Amino acid sequence: MTLIKILFAWGPILFGLGFLAPLTVQAMEAAALTPPFGLTPLHIGLALGLTWGLIAKFTGRWI
Amino acid sequence: MQEPLNAGAPQAAPLKTADEKALMREEMRIAKKYMNGFPFFMAFWGIFNLLCWLALWPLVISGIMPLWAGFIIATLNVTLCYLPSHEAQHSNYAPPGHPLRWLNELIGYVSTIPLVLPFKTARITHMDHHSFTNDPERDPDYGVKAKNAFAAIMQGLFRRQPGNADAYGLLLQKKAESGNKLAERAIVEALVQTTSFYLILAALAWSGYALEAALLWWLPRHLGMTYISLFLSWFPHHPMTEQGRYRNTRSFHHWYGNIVALGMEHHIVHHLHPGIPLNRNAAAFREMRPLLVERGCRLED
Repeated sequence: MTLIKILFAWGPILFGLGFLAPLTVQAMEAAALTPPFGLTPLHIGLALGLTWGLIAKFTGRWI
Repeated sequence: MQEPLNAGAPQAAPLKTADEKALMREEMRIAKKYMNGFPFFMAFWGIFNLLCWLALWPLVISGIMPLWAGFIIATLNVTLCYLPSHEAQHSNYAPPGHPLRWLNELIGYVSTIPLVLPFKTARITHMDHHSFTNDPERDPDYGVKAKNAFAAIMQGLFRRQPGNADAYGLLLQKKAESGNKLAERAIVEALVQTTSFYLILAALAWSGYALEAALLWWLPRHLGMTYISLFLSWFPHHPMTEQGRYRNTRSFHHWYGNIVALGMEHHIVHHLHPGIPLNRNAAAFREMRPLLVERGCRLED
């Protein structure tokens, strides 16, 4: 129970990395988008997922 | 001005039994007529809808069905999955002690898997909604109150943001702290079910099925929750200013009809007699209408 409570407290970041990151990667691949500066879709996905998750965690809002 | 539902139909004879007991007797007589029999339609709806949603996964992943079509069907499935469980919350398939009680609980538990709505949470909070409808402090659905439909949708989005307290969670916690064992159990089940949902989403996403997970479950769930909140909570109770058996909800009618409104146009019958299955509410409403007029109900159809 304690573990689940901790997981929920960090839920937005976990959701960002666990779901939004791979979703971004696969959406970019499906749309045939190539990231700039030699980055891979995974770099973009992880950066977006982590950033958005942190924003949601500390502001309390996804949108 | 909307046309009344019974326009063109023969008018019911005016009531002569004006006293309270006679009114209640007549109301109960009509209600019992529609409560009889197993609600096959709702049971079939619950099971078929779940199987349909489950079938989408192999169909889409194997490429037999395009993802966009799966997304549309999944959104319908998620939107439609609550109401069969709602019958189970009221034990309308089988009351406690009945040989078919297992079926009641099974439909309650499994039909809302696409919505990720834990059954015990739904049942406990829904019973409080019935007991304290429109009470700002005690109705767990009071958070849907909004001045219009658009505001209700936006408020629904706002309520689902991680920084907002979950009214259902708070209610369960309060009950658990006061020693309610069922609420304690509901919290555990809710945590397990919600955690499982996010773990499955992540597992699918990191296995290469992120788009499928997003468009067959995650996004349909958000769209379904928005639709359900609007049509099952906001429309039937708006403006949520009155309490009491005959005034806390209403009948209504819009151009899009009762099916689009998920049968909520006659929600007043449900609040008066929750034992009447959803698909019989309209008929019960028509027969009960003169009594509802006599009672001063909010008939806004």
